[in-house]
Amino acid sequence: MTIIATLLQVLPYYFNIPALQSAASTASNAVLLIVACATFVGVISILQVHGKRIQRRSEGWPFSVLVFVFCATMVLTGLPFAEYGLGSSNTIFNWIFTNIQTPLGGTMYSILAFFITSAAVRAFKARNIEAAIVLVSGTLMVMGNAPLFTNAVPVLADISLWIRNIPNMATMRGVMIGAALGAIALAVRTLMGIERGYLRGGGEE
Amino acid sequence: MAFLIQGRIFGLICLLFIMAAVAYYIKQAQAGKVPKVRRIPGIDAIDESIGRAVEMGRPVFCSHGIANLRDATTGPQTIAGLSVLNYVAKRCVAVGARIVVPVRQPEVWPIASDIVETEYKLAGKGEEFDPDSVQFLSTEQFAFSSSYMGLMMREKPGANIMVGAYWAESLQLAETGSRIGAMQITGTAQTSQIPFFLVTSDYCLIGEEIYSAGAYLSNDAALIASLAGQDVGRFVAVVLGLLGAITYTMGSRILLDLFAM
Repeated sequence: MTIIATLLQVLPYYFNIPALQSAASTASNAVLLIVACATFVGVISILQVHGKRIQRRSEGWPFSVLVFVFCATMVLTGLPFAEYGLGSSNTIFNWIFTNIQTPLGGTMYSILAFFITSAAVRAFKARNIEAAIVLVSGTLMVMGNAPLFTNAVPVLADISLWIRNIPNMATMRGVMIGAALGAIALAVRTLMGIERGYLRGGGEE
Repeated sequence: MAFLIQGRIFGLICLLFIMAAVAYYIKQAQAGKVPKVRRIPGIDAIDESIGRAVEMGRPVFCSHGIANLRDATTGPQTIAGLSVLNYVAKRCVAVGARIVVPVRQPEVWPIASDIVETEYKLAGKGEEFDPDSVQFLSTEQFAFSSSYMGLMMREKPGANIMVGAYWAESLQLAETGSRIGAMQITGTAQTSQIPFFLVTSDYCLIGEEIYSAGAYLSNDAALIASLAGQDVGRFVAVVLGLLGAITYTMGSRILLDLFAM
């Protein structure tokens, strides 16, 4: 099954055979169906974990109640019955989505700025040659992207562009080629049935 | 040749060549010729990190990334992450460490749960498996990230092992792990996230190293041999790169035409 499923994904990319394309399309649709069903598995897991937490009155259990309330509200108001006022046009569904989920997502994304700052403080210490190179090139990149510096010293923009396009690009391409080769080797091992680490017990009987 | 799609023929030839090389070395290993593999400090440190967590009386967090299994570029990273999870779960069961696995993709959750549960059963400790230790958090990227960070702040893991595909949340998770003093081993093939992991982790597996992890940890001769086949592909890539640079500098488009075949 693994071999057939893998070949059905690989061969249509290279071969223009209608029967193969059709089989691959059917397989892809089957995968989508499985994934859609798996969504319910995720919900069950959440309800199990938070249900137990509420039952045992574990630390922070009121937050688990909130999870239950919002989960139920979003599921019920989001049901695809537009004739009953439910679905994506439902007022409650939209309000929660627009005023809670979207701002929370945006907030989480924006706090990355603080994480980057603290990580940069840790990284920008010239403890050895490699760290010194990171410090110098990082500083040049920051300065090359800040108009305050590039207005005063225009060559900074060219230097940062060179760092990005030459040494950085060369390294990234090396990593990408290596990663692609690694993925191909993993695919071959999976096709041959010897890579079983992702299976229960590593395939041990 | 009408059944072959134009522009992808050279890619197919390269793919077949690399696959043949990998298969050849696997067959060689099965005949007893196993190549030597260089040490990868990040993978060697997994045992140390689990031991440290046990000494501190803290749990071990192990994440296989946030990607699904379907995507062509990130799916293999999830498989690699699950291979690492398999080993980490085995070691945790052996030394009595509590393992926590935060999951983002619902379709991966049963697989991750099964891997951990099976390791408990194989060790004869099936009744000790806690189903809540493999937690589905959320499919929303930043809801997953905030839940993971919250878990780390509450549980204070002694080790945080993250191998798989990550995006913007990589820095949030690794930085939080760093703040709580967890020993961190990370790895990804996402080039944009590798720098974040490098500055926040104790050990970082870069790119292809995550795909070798399963082979490396299993110590299986055939799996290790496949890494040598991978090296053949690397050799081809270097030769083509050099030839491309030389021929294009000389004004020839022969290799470009070959790639576009």
